[in-house]
Amino acid sequence: MRKSVGLTLIAVVVFLFLTVPLIIITATAFGEASTIRFPIQGFTLKWFTATFASRSFMSSLGLSFALASYATLLALLVGIPASYALSKTTFRTNPRLRAFFLSPTFVPGIVVGYALFQFLVIQWRMPVFAGLLLGHFLVSLPYVIRVVGASLEQFDFSIEEVAWSLGCNKPKAFLKVVLPNIGSGIVAAFMLSFINSFNNIPVSMFLTGPGVSTLPTTLMNYIEYSYDPSVSAISVVLMGVTVVLMVIVERTLGIGSLAK
Amino acid sequence: MSYAVLENIRVSYDGKTPVLTDLNLSIERGELVSLLGASGCGKTTTLRVVGGFIEPRAGRFTLNGVDMTRTAVHKRNFGLVFQSYALFPHLTVFENVAFGLKLRKIESASLKSRVMAMLDITDLGALANRYPRQLSGGQRQRVALARALVVEPQLLLLDEPLSNLDAKLRLSMRVEIKRLQKKLGITTIFVTHDQEECFSISDRVAIMDKGVIQQFDTPEAIYSHPANEFVARFVGFTNFFNLTASGTGRCLNNLGEEMVIDEIRNHTGGQTSWTGAIRPDDIVLTGTEVSGTNRLTGSVEVRTFLGKSYQYELETKLGRVVVNAPKDSIFEPGTLVCAHLPSDKIVLC
Amino acid sequence: MKRSVFLLLIAPGILLLTIFLFYPLVVTLAPTFSNNGPSLARYLAFFSDSYYLAVFFRTVWIAVVATLVCMILGVPTAYFISRRRRSKSFLMALSIFPLLTNPVVRAFAWINILGRNGVLNSLLLSWGWITTPLTLLYTDFSILIGTIYLFLPLMIVTLVGSMDTIEEEVTEAAESLGASRLVTFFKVVLPLSLPGIVVGSVLVFTGAITAYSTPNLLGGNKNMLLATLIYQRAMSLADWTSAGVIAFVMIVMTVVTVMVMQKVSRRLDRR
Repeated sequence: MRKSVGLTLIAVVVFLFLTVPLIIITATAFGEASTIRFPIQGFTLKWFTATFASRSFMSSLGLSFALASYATLLALLVGIPASYALSKTTFRTNPRLRAFFLSPTFVPGIVVGYALFQFLVIQWRMPVFAGLLLGHFLVSLPYVIRVVGASLEQFDFSIEEVAWSLGCNKPKAFLKVVLPNIGSGIVAAFMLSFINSFNNIPVSMFLTGPGVSTLPTTLMNYIEYSYDPSVSAISVVLMGVTVVLMVIVERTLGIGSLAK
Repeated sequence: MSYAVLENIRVSYDGKTPVLTDLNLSIERGELVSLLGASGCGKTTTLRVVGGFIEPRAGRFTLNGVDMTRTAVHKRNFGLVFQSYALFPHLTVFENVAFGLKLRKIESASLKSRVMAMLDITDLGALANRYPRQLSGGQRQRVALARALVVEPQLLLLDEPLSNLDAKLRLSMRVEIKRLQKKLGITTIFVTHDQEECFSISDRVAIMDKGVIQQFDTPEAIYSHPANEFVARFVGFTNFFNLTASGTGRCLNNLGEEMVIDEIRNHTGGQTSWTGAIRPDDIVLTGTEVSGTNRLTGSVEVRTFLGKSYQYELETKLGRVVVNAPKDSIFEPGTLVCAHLPSDKIVLC
Repeated sequence: MKRSVFLLLIAPGILLLTIFLFYPLVVTLAPTFSNNGPSLARYLAFFSDSYYLAVFFRTVWIAVVATLVCMILGVPTAYFISRRRRSKSFLMALSIFPLLTNPVVRAFAWINILGRNGVLNSLLLSWGWITTPLTLLYTDFSILIGTIYLFLPLMIVTLVGSMDTIEEEVTEAAESLGASRLVTFFKVVLPLSLPGIVVGSVLVFTGAITAYSTPNLLGGNKNMLLATLIYQRAMSLADWTSAGVIAFVMIVMTVVTVMVMQKVSRRLDRR
């Protein structure tokens, strides 16, 4: 491929813009000074050890992890059957039903959070975790519907019919033939939904309660009041997790599957 | 000096595995030359070198004596037709054909008349305002051809232009291409993997394999005198056997029997061994055993019906022999038959 | 599939969405339409309050500029990526990575760069280009930079997806007909990626008007946007009605943008 100078120049500038800020954060996590300085002086891992020793960070990390897992599982449990039903049938209402399932994307996250806060927390006095779980489920569902729906569109349903003809009943055929063949779509949906739930701020902002806070909200509150390299250290840890997830996706599905 | 000349072209994508190795090809003005070969043989790569999409690692490409090896694609003025047609989906038929002329700043009255004339030649006049998605495969192909021809290219490059069409359309389009090419006198390179299509349309054919031109000649010459076993297989020879020289103008097969071969007179060099080849159609089958030269006895293993004839696979002492025999006499599997290999039908390669 | 099975499969989703999304929305937003009987008084009040209007227009302005910048930077970058072979998946990974990184982290990165003692000010001071640190953080400028940084990867990834559907042979055909790289880009690639550009712009625009963490961290208390305003009205001031009004305004903006762009996109897509 021959190169075009102008295009290359723009692309280089854009990629510097995208990466340099994250590189700077990474560097500042290792500085010895008690406020963030760049370039850093000295080299230390104390901010990492401080982070791992901090109870509020660790408990919010645990909460975020559990929340993202449960919300994603719930979204898969609800979303996969719905996508399957929508792609197997040609009812006239299907496009509208699909739009209904995708509707959480049209409601700003902060509004979802606010409405659930009013309704679940103030009116129903629901436990904080339940509220968070429902909010994150709403955020996750559209990813499942979209990604699993796309892979069901690619699926050749005659394979399922062959399974029936070989004596497989319908639930079993779904589990043994359909599910394995849309596996990559499910994994991609899981990853997208997990990461977006894990990173979510607007929905969580309203729904976190005393002593129960997700990692992003804890981090945000921390940044608002103090400014030391432990935030950089947490950022590095979070980016590390993202890298691991991306490597897993790249090895199993190819990185392009997250871009659909 | 020929019109279009490729000299010692070498292409490799990764620097290690060669795609083209020292390829040489000379094309005369007004000629239609085909590059024929299986996928991966380097024919499309050769075309892309000529088109300017690939810069060769070594070698030269000259057109009319001018070195164009490093000339940018858009400055070459070559017409290009792809297998996928590659029409501009956002432009109408007229706009597609006018694309090249607009870039050449042709003033609008003459642009319009040239486009319309080209659309008439290609029988597209009525479709000028349609979009590509509203056209059939054959119509898209004609738009692609019109778009390439209207700029009066110095060279027309066709990359499997007929492969996406159904069999009937393919036949009429290839006549159409030949007609237009001769009428406009455009030097053309045609890439295909279809032997019949290629032979019917070309003035000369280059048969390629593994990045090397195996034979470059007229279709007739290739058909009757393949240069080597690869080419022979490509043009329909299925039966091969080893031959060794035994004195002047004579040779023996693996069993030590003498074979009479007319073509051996042309092989007077010091060569002492050859591969003989014959097409299934050229072998004559008889039920009764006849002794004599160029005769083989064998038993029928498999018989398949081809429509005009039957194809037999025989097990002989020289190995498996494939024969196409007329329908008037049918041999059942298991019976013994005698195959006659006429001396004028055996080629040496 | 039998209708009963179909209903059984979609029922859980329908129920959950109805009970936990639509019902709460209706319950929360209904009071904003009444003032001793049905009325739009609260919305009229919102749009005649100069402070609210300022926040509204600041939100729209930042979203529009961010969308334009993402478009201008994203289109060439996406084209660059879509035409690579070997480095393509690496460049895609590089674009997707920020997208998957926590928005708080991404905003924090710009606090480090734009702050009074941040990287940019220290660099400019040490080069002697300025003598006192510039106020970059907690301004509209810092929100804008943060928003562009947040959504540029989304634009790029969307556009690469769209440009990948343009066959390479089509651009090659254009070049063979005498179009230089630049002309091919403007006459063939750009018109064919318009639908993708529209989709990307909708994602950036709607994302920008609803993003919370970026304006919260980079804008501070003075430079409110709708998303930060809604939180402040609800949580700090317990002003439920204003929060409801803002929430409904944001929903309408999102839905209208999506619907308008769907119309536009359908018209543009002539393939």
